[in-house]
Amino acid sequence: MINDFEHFTPKTLKEALALLAKYGDDCKVICGGQSLLILMRQGLVSPKYIVDIKGISELSYIKDDKDGVKIGATTTHRAVEKSAVIKKKYPVLAEMETRLASVQTRNWGTIGGNVCHGDPAGDPVPVLIALNATLTVAGARGTRSIPVENFSLDYFEVDLKDGELLAEITIPPPPPRTGAVYTKFNIIESDLATVSVAASVTLGAGDGVCQDVRIALGAVAPTAIRAKKAEKVLKGKKITDALLKEAGEVAATETEPISDIYASEEYRLELVKALVPRMTKEALARAKKA
Amino acid sequence: MKKELKFKVNGQPYEIFVKPKTLLVEVLRDLVGLTGTKRGCSSSSCGACTVMLDGMAVKSCSVLALQANGTEVVTVEGLAKGNELSPLQRAFLDHGSYQCGFCTPGMLMSSTALLTENPRPTKLEIKEGIDGNICRCTGYNAIVRAVTAVVKGEYKEAK
Amino acid sequence: MSDYSVIGKRVHNIDGTEKVTGSGKYTFDVVLPNMLYGKILRSPHPHAKILKIDTRRAKRLVGVKAVVTGKDTLGRKQGIWRRFPELCDEEILCRAKVRYIGDAVAAVAAIDEDTAEEALDLIDVEYEPLPAVFDPMDAIKEDAPQIHEGVELNININRHIEWGDVDEAFEKCDHIREDKFKCSSQAHVCMETHDAVASFGHNGKLEVWTSSQSSYYIQRLYADMLDMNESDIRVTNRHTGGGFGSKFELDSAQFCAAILSQKLCQPVKIVLTREEEFTATKRRTPMYYFLKLGAKKDGTMLAKEVRVITEGGAYTAMGATALYLTGFFSSFPYKYPNYRYDGYRVYTNTATTSAMRGFGAPQSTFVGESQIDMMAEDLGIDPVEIRRKNGMTPNYEVPGQAFIQSCGLHQCLDKIEEHIEKRGKLPPNHGIGVSAYGFMSGGIFNWFNTPYAFSAAVVRINIDGKVDVYTGTCDMGQGSNTTLAMICAEELGVRLEDVRMFSGDTGICPPDLGAWGSRQTLMGGNAVKMAAAECKQQLIEFTAAKMGVNIVYDLDIKDRWVHLVDRPERGVSYFDIVKEAIRGKDGVAIMGRGHYTPHRKGMISPAYSFGVQAAEVEVDPETGRYKLVNVTTAHESGTVINPVGIEGQLEGAIMMAGGYGFCEDQPMDEGKILNPSIADYKLIRSLDMPETDILEIDTYEPEGPFGAKEAGEGLTNPTAGAIGNAVYKAVGVRIYDLPITPEKVFKALKEKEKQQKKAKK
Repeated sequence: MINDFEHFTPKTLKEALALLAKYGDDCKVICGGQSLLILMRQGLVSPKYIVDIKGISELSYIKDDKDGVKIGATTTHRAVEKSAVIKKKYPVLAEMETRLASVQTRNWGTIGGNVCHGDPAGDPVPVLIALNATLTVAGARGTRSIPVENFSLDYFEVDLKDGELLAEITIPPPPPRTGAVYTKFNIIESDLATVSVAASVTLGAGDGVCQDVRIALGAVAPTAIRAKKAEKVLKGKKITDALLKEAGEVAATETEPISDIYASEEYRLELVKALVPRMTKEALARAKKA
Repeated sequence: MKKELKFKVNGQPYEIFVKPKTLLVEVLRDLVGLTGTKRGCSSSSCGACTVMLDGMAVKSCSVLALQANGTEVVTVEGLAKGNELSPLQRAFLDHGSYQCGFCTPGMLMSSTALLTENPRPTKLEIKEGIDGNICRCTGYNAIVRAVTAVVKGEYKEAK
Repeated sequence: MSDYSVIGKRVHNIDGTEKVTGSGKYTFDVVLPNMLYGKILRSPHPHAKILKIDTRRAKRLVGVKAVVTGKDTLGRKQGIWRRFPELCDEEILCRAKVRYIGDAVAAVAAIDEDTAEEALDLIDVEYEPLPAVFDPMDAIKEDAPQIHEGVELNININRHIEWGDVDEAFEKCDHIREDKFKCSSQAHVCMETHDAVASFGHNGKLEVWTSSQSSYYIQRLYADMLDMNESDIRVTNRHTGGGFGSKFELDSAQFCAAILSQKLCQPVKIVLTREEEFTATKRRTPMYYFLKLGAKKDGTMLAKEVRVITEGGAYTAMGATALYLTGFFSSFPYKYPNYRYDGYRVYTNTATTSAMRGFGAPQSTFVGESQIDMMAEDLGIDPVEIRRKNGMTPNYEVPGQAFIQSCGLHQCLDKIEEHIEKRGKLPPNHGIGVSAYGFMSGGIFNWFNTPYAFSAAVVRINIDGKVDVYTGTCDMGQGSNTTLAMICAEELGVRLEDVRMFSGDTGICPPDLGAWGSRQTLMGGNAVKMAAAECKQQLIEFTAAKMGVNIVYDLDIKDRWVHLVDRPERGVSYFDIVKEAIRGKDGVAIMGRGHYTPHRKGMISPAYSFGVQAAEVEVDPETGRYKLVNVTTAHESGTVINPVGIEGQLEGAIMMAGGYGFCEDQPMDEGKILNPSIADYKLIRSLDMPETDILEIDTYEPEGPFGAKEAGEGLTNPTAGAIGNAVYKAVGVRIYDLPITPEKVFKALKEKEKQQKKAKK
């Protein structure tokens, strides 16, 4: 049973921030509500006030400018999935969206809401980490910017202080000769990840050396994480199968997976070892073609 | 405190006062009285409550009714034109794309939204389009066949 | 075959338009004037004494109209095995003790669902937790807590089946295999959860609308529990949103709604939440299986010994039948000259296990078909060949148990062999696994102790020639109303659109045991056919007299034309004859009665259907993840009455049985089901669904209406075994416990690698 609440529908970001400042702790932000309503039905969350930002049109956009592509926080998953700019510049992001839950959820749910939900098994965050995205958080005293990899703090906990809202996601322009991929391992195709891996590889000019690599993992720690040590194994080297295998082994040491009804801790580690090399290799192949 | 919800359902305007916590599915079933839309879970997982909201498929158990303010909702009751069933409805009949029928309204709404957006989906796209809907009876393939038949033009829209 | 004008045609289900327009009313949609909403309070403990229930705070909540506990009941216990009072062990609203997490202890009726739910929090129950036991292997130990008073070692029931001399036969075998398996549970996951609207009138009569597979069983069990006459209880099953074996026992929604309504004389509606559906209704029986199989070098199987221990859960329910059927179907579909089965159903402090589509046979088929593949490999024989060598044939007697008349198993094996050959060389890491099965067409047993015929029907022809069929059968979505209407139309010589079905309403329909054990096409169909034939006979007699035909001529009706069989052009309109015949009968509508109870057909079923399935999987050896690529089924179900219906049954069974093999499970911790939502309970969705091909085999079952028999439930049997065998063919690992998850495949692959390394050293 959902407890009743007072419902506000600000029309601008400013109005929304004013409401958040006023109601503080007793208040929750809803946008697509695809996660929040489930928590409310289970009685896990029971806010007195709800600030509904679904109607704030100034937060729903996909803009392409010199700093990269900017996605407003209330942009639906479906808009990201269908965007010509995204498909062209960051195909991995659109591909990730096609496997995120169902069409219905993507039609109403938003990418900002997903990021703020802080589910370590969520799909967008690993991809955004691999793409080196930053988040713009708005508050009563202005905005601040934070790399997406630092945003998640713990299970379902993100770096949003009272009165703050996620406003925008910025993805920098991909360097030349970069390829990125995402996969999630699960049993049912459209399900949440048991383990997910996003990888982005940038090749140096001509010589085939891995100039930069970013590897992000989902569902193997309290938050989505970046496997920095694994990246180090590959960075500045010509990628070989042996190095990839090593990167997988190293990535596994960076995780702290749990055992649950879907997979044991041990199995999750093995999946990391299998999927990190496989996905990095795919990213490499894409980089070569780029 | 109740708030006013103004929206259209199957073309008919409604003005209803609802508690903010009311879900779209509850308004449709309990207040508007359209019980074709079903509910099969409470975790946004089964798709039985799927309706079209401004042309998009959404799970009406996962949308606050007040968020539908100013929108146009189409439910399964809005698919037929008078006594003429829609092409998908007829294709479902011919292909046995339902058994117990409890998921059928949601399946039809997902399929209708799919074809509204993409009139020529591939088989994979059809499967993706109904992947948010669980059917415990048919095994889905009969539903995919029905949608495919409509895509192929085997069922014409009623005039 | 092609002589039929209705049977075998591709038709719309007769309730199809209601379903595609959303106008069909389910119990979920029923709203009555003055109706209240009920909710049920359930035990959080797996095993506990109820010391005290204080409902005062809940009763004071504004909007609450009644709160009931076990003290408001007669304290009776229900069970489907009514012949054995000791097996009627479920109070539904517990009075002194709870036996699983989810056992009902109180119920509330209020003006709306929210108020009722709020009131549940205000009921104070004082429990004294008792030691609990969850695994049947622990529950049979001497020192295990006793779940039901006086039940030694928690053994609820045991079944023994035996023929031949098993011990002697094993001595003659060239090769013997002994294997252990474990079969998991499975939830039915009907899209419409259990629900009921119960309405007691001031006249003391009870009317109930409920989602059900057997209105008659529900009516009878209500009568037992409420100490009422059956005839004062009317149970109506409207459209039912799926059953699959979960909806033919009196459930907590039905019982609590009635108890509340009895107190208030107001209608009370209870709809179980999805979480309750997962935790507090019945489920498929988990089983420990111990198999011993002996064969000659040439693949002839001489003996099989089967021992089974099942996790019963808290109550008997239909689990006793599952125990019997898993034992019988462990011999299927082969001719074992010597066979012995011992099965034990053990009470545990877990949700009750009972009937689910396949009824014990999906378990026995998974283990049996896995083992026979292993035997074939041991002996160096092709899997299809070993099945062919031992497979059942028409007119085979299962010694002392059953007589099989029609059987198309060998044709099915041929077709599957062709299919595999056609696939040719498979890509790497692909494998095709084969699994053969059989199933019954309704049970002969009468543990329910009904005094009525198993099936009965009344057919009435109205003045306009339209036909009404009244039958206690229940359409839960499987399409039985369409199948029965087709049988009626064919027999009577009218069109399908001339027939209207009234089913599952105990107020107007003759009793029928309902939709379980695959009984409705054969048993319900025979009853409807007989009733239709009686109507037809009256029309033919009247026509013969009216036309003055020579008595050497036979008359028949086809497509609304009453005519001479040898001279079809000589005839009259069916509609004209009906009008005149009714006038000739002093205005009484033409009526026919039909019934069916199997006699002299052995102990199990009057008929059996057979099939062979081939599942193709693709395994990722690095992760153990595999995809179901294709499932091809060769099956026979006698004459196909409703081909669209059979396709649907077959594909739907693959979704459910594929799920049983692949992903569906109910993991528990101390009796608590850990995945009680559709988000957490993994089901095959459209993207996961394999391609499905059907190879139909023609057979004719003399006992069935127009030669028809079971189609649909048995199709749940083969898939898990076919998947297991396919994974083995693909990557060489055998999984012994369901579901066959990628993690298990992965671990087995690692283990195999380790063994191979060891062997090299």
